[in-house]
Amino acid sequence: MQNVLNGIPLWWYLVVSAALFCIGLYGTLARKNAIALLMGVELMLNAANINLLAFWRYLAPASSGGLAFAAFVLVIAAAEAAVGLALIISVYRVTRSIDPEKLDQMKL
Amino acid sequence: MTIHQVLFIVIALAILGAAIFVVTTSNLFRAALMMILTFFGVAGLFVLLDIGLFAVAQVLIYIGAISILVIFAVMLTRGMQGMVPRNSQAVAAAVVAGIIFFVLLLLFGPLRTTIDVARWPIVSLFARNVSPRDVGGVEWIPPGQPIPAVPETYIADFGRALVDLNQYLLPFLLIAFLVDVVLAGAIFIARQRRPAEVIEDRQRQAEEAAEEAEAMRRAGMTPDVAALPEGAVASTAEH
Repeated sequence: MQNVLNGIPLWWYLVVSAALFCIGLYGTLARKNAIALLMGVELMLNAANINLLAFWRYLAPASSGGLAFAAFVLVIAAAEAAVGLALIISVYRVTRSIDPEKLDQMKL
Repeated sequence: MTIHQVLFIVIALAILGAAIFVVTTSNLFRAALMMILTFFGVAGLFVLLDIGLFAVAQVLIYIGAISILVIFAVMLTRGMQGMVPRNSQAVAAAVVAGIIFFVLLLLFGPLRTTIDVARWPIVSLFARNVSPRDVGGVEWIPPGQPIPAVPETYIADFGRALVDLNQYLLPFLLIAFLVDVVLAGAIFIARQRRPAEVIEDRQRQAEEAAEEAEAMRRAGMTPDVAALPEGAVASTAEH
């Protein structure tokens, strides 16, 4: 994998993206606040986007596939944030808490 | 070291430092601000990759929309800021994330030619063929070959690919539909019914029930007058 662009090999991007993904994963698993949990998910989606665009740029810049899927990830991230935060706010209104460990009932 | 390499290292350190701050701090508002720094860093990486379109989209969508949404949510759930940052599974979560990072590092990092992680027992299930020569009919640039510049018309090509029936028209339409549904759903879920609205609703339902009873009486039937307003009031009170 010695594809080099501007002196930067592809694996640099992959390692940064892997690290960002794992930090986001830790945030999603270990936080005690639903909003912080959503932030972890956003970090993971960003890592996926870095991966998609780096692979596109280094291996297939002539096609549009990487761009299209990165755009879809962007849209999904926005949709996820909108619905997630709406849910959190509506749950907070009823229970006065956004600790995911306490939200264990189906009916509020 | 070229200027690009220096820039990359600075940006990468900023991204990872800010991301670690986001997942460890107990102050949610600062976490949101650091998340914005992370998004800026990712936009910088896109600039280094010569994809200005996505750097701009990143700033507009992530920083302009998602971060603001998160900050709004933080402020609307006030009193939750000074929280315990970690739950009881934090150590296990850190171990899992660390193991996954280690495996990814071996799979894609500089040691991938010397240590064949893809043959390891569990990893081999997921990484059977990490670097295929061509995926989906797109020929990959082989290692060592110079990488061509991004085509001048890449934005126009991208736009055409999104509306091309043979490329991404269907996912594009599905995504558009999804956004439509999601926006309506988010508004519906987060909508707060004001007390005045609820009272108005109750009055209207009681009036409707009374009218119905009146109509039934005129038609000569025996109306179930007592049950109707009661039921109407009870159903609105549950909201």
